[in-house]
Amino acid sequence: MRKRNKLILTIIVVVIVLGIFTPILLMFPSMFKDKYEIFAYPWKLFPSTWNFDNLSRVFFLQYTSLEVNFLQSMLITIIVASIAVVFSLTINMIAGFAFARLKFYGKTFFWIFVLFTMFIPGITILITSIKVVSFLGMIDTLWVLIVPGLVSAYNIFFFRQFYLGFPKEIDEAAKIDGATNFQIFKMIYFPMSKTPMVIIGASIFMGYYNSYLWPTLTISHERKELYQIMYIIRMLFSDASSIGYGSVLAATLISLIPPFIIFMIVQKYIREGIALTGVK
Amino acid sequence: MKKGSDTKSAYIMIVPVIILLTIFVYIPLIIAFIRSFVDTSGDTVQFIGLGTFIKILQNKNFTKSIWTVIKFALILSVFQISTTFLFANALVKINTKLSMFSRTLIYLPNLISGIVVAVIFTLLTTFNGGIINSVIGNMGIDPIAFNNDVFWSPVSIIIPTIWIGFGYFSLVMYAGIINIPKEYFEAAEIDGAGFWQTLRYITIPTMKNYFILLMVTMIVVNIQMFEIPMIMTNGQPANQTMTPVLYLVHSRSNGNISDNEITTSAVLIMLIIVAINSAIFYLFRTRKEQEWEM
Repeated sequence: MRKRNKLILTIIVVVIVLGIFTPILLMFPSMFKDKYEIFAYPWKLFPSTWNFDNLSRVFFLQYTSLEVNFLQSMLITIIVASIAVVFSLTINMIAGFAFARLKFYGKTFFWIFVLFTMFIPGITILITSIKVVSFLGMIDTLWVLIVPGLVSAYNIFFFRQFYLGFPKEIDEAAKIDGATNFQIFKMIYFPMSKTPMVIIGASIFMGYYNSYLWPTLTISHERKELYQIMYIIRMLFSDASSIGYGSVLAATLISLIPPFIIFMIVQKYIREGIALTGVK
Repeated sequence: MKKGSDTKSAYIMIVPVIILLTIFVYIPLIIAFIRSFVDTSGDTVQFIGLGTFIKILQNKNFTKSIWTVIKFALILSVFQISTTFLFANALVKINTKLSMFSRTLIYLPNLISGIVVAVIFTLLTTFNGGIINSVIGNMGIDPIAFNNDVFWSPVSIIIPTIWIGFGYFSLVMYAGIINIPKEYFEAAEIDGAGFWQTLRYITIPTMKNYFILLMVTMIVVNIQMFEIPMIMTNGQPANQTMTPVLYLVHSRSNGNISDNEITTSAVLIMLIIVAINSAIFYLFRTRKEQEWEM
């Protein structure tokens, strides 16, 4: 009886996991279909002739309406996201450490100041944030893409939670040896933060890589080279009737390569990382 | 050690965070709140109280989009919480290796953007020659206009949204289940509790905090959803899938309503999210007390 139940559960899990991947897997061969075959009835998984026009169009041509190269904007998006990961991790980690371990005046006030931002939806401050960045002269620069999103209360909370679990005796011993708080962070806490760094770093990277609304509203056609990839995909999609759905699909699937690489990097840490979120 | 002994180094450590949050979150928030109570269309700024709020509440398109998204958010959170919870329970019971492998794989959709997911699902659900319509066509069913039908277009928005979150939420649920002390389950087994009884009396009550956290997260995320409807249906047919954020983004590019009204609408969205989340906290709290009495 118990064995049969286990078998049923196993089948359910396998079916669901396969089901999750079906949409993407079904789409892969369509990338090599020509314009007419992609919506041909009856639908076939594989193209009758494999054609690489869609791919080459994504790689080599500049789309007339956008005048930007797809791979170039993918590269700039990756650069933006990578810079953001470095800065965002550094400032959020060190703030998390201060809130977890240090004693200072106004700690409760600053902690509430940070946590409260979790309850502010992005849309509420969207229009006025644009006014602020244009007042600061940041519109159409690389910085407008990176700086406003660097701090995340959620990430600070995550690191604080992680550091709270460390035994206090370590830093007390280090303090007796004359270490400053910065040295304690650098020598003890930082080297032990690999798992949360990988998990949070991946989520920061993907947050930047996938962002659509903010880059769309802050980068104008005067700085086309700064267009972010999700905006390009959205524009390609609305031009699909002239570009061809095959090319749009090819661009979309190529844009999945960075998330896939990130996934390969984090997969070892996922199980540990989720347990760390520390919902108690 | 004294209370403020680390003040100097701590301030240096938190100062980047505090400055950035002040400039890019608090200042915009304060301006947004001020702007929703004033009129800036004339030469001078005039205080008009709740005037803008009243104006946007009379805007039928906007209020309809609010009800639409609340409906979506409720359907989504009930469906996602129940399915991911059951799925996580299945993950605990099956073979360890397979469970580990599944838990790794299901995380992948969480990394993919709404735009990309929407493009893929649009191609799956296209009326003429989409894969799903071809398959059901082979079974002799007439093609369905998934993205342009009053009943089906909300469904075709909700499914990709579930698809993105399912793996991540299952992993959080899984973490919740394995954190429950083993003795509870052993005691239940000795008392002869079945699968459903164990769920009802042990797993669900001990995981209450996980449910609250996930529900609050889902409400915040889903009420602001717009990328998937933007690509798949563009709010159509008859604004059935128009979400508030999509409506505001549209209005901004058309110039339909003023920036002040958009900001005020967005402030209203924040108030709605706060209200719903407070209601969730309140409901769960009372239920918990009832259970203690039992």
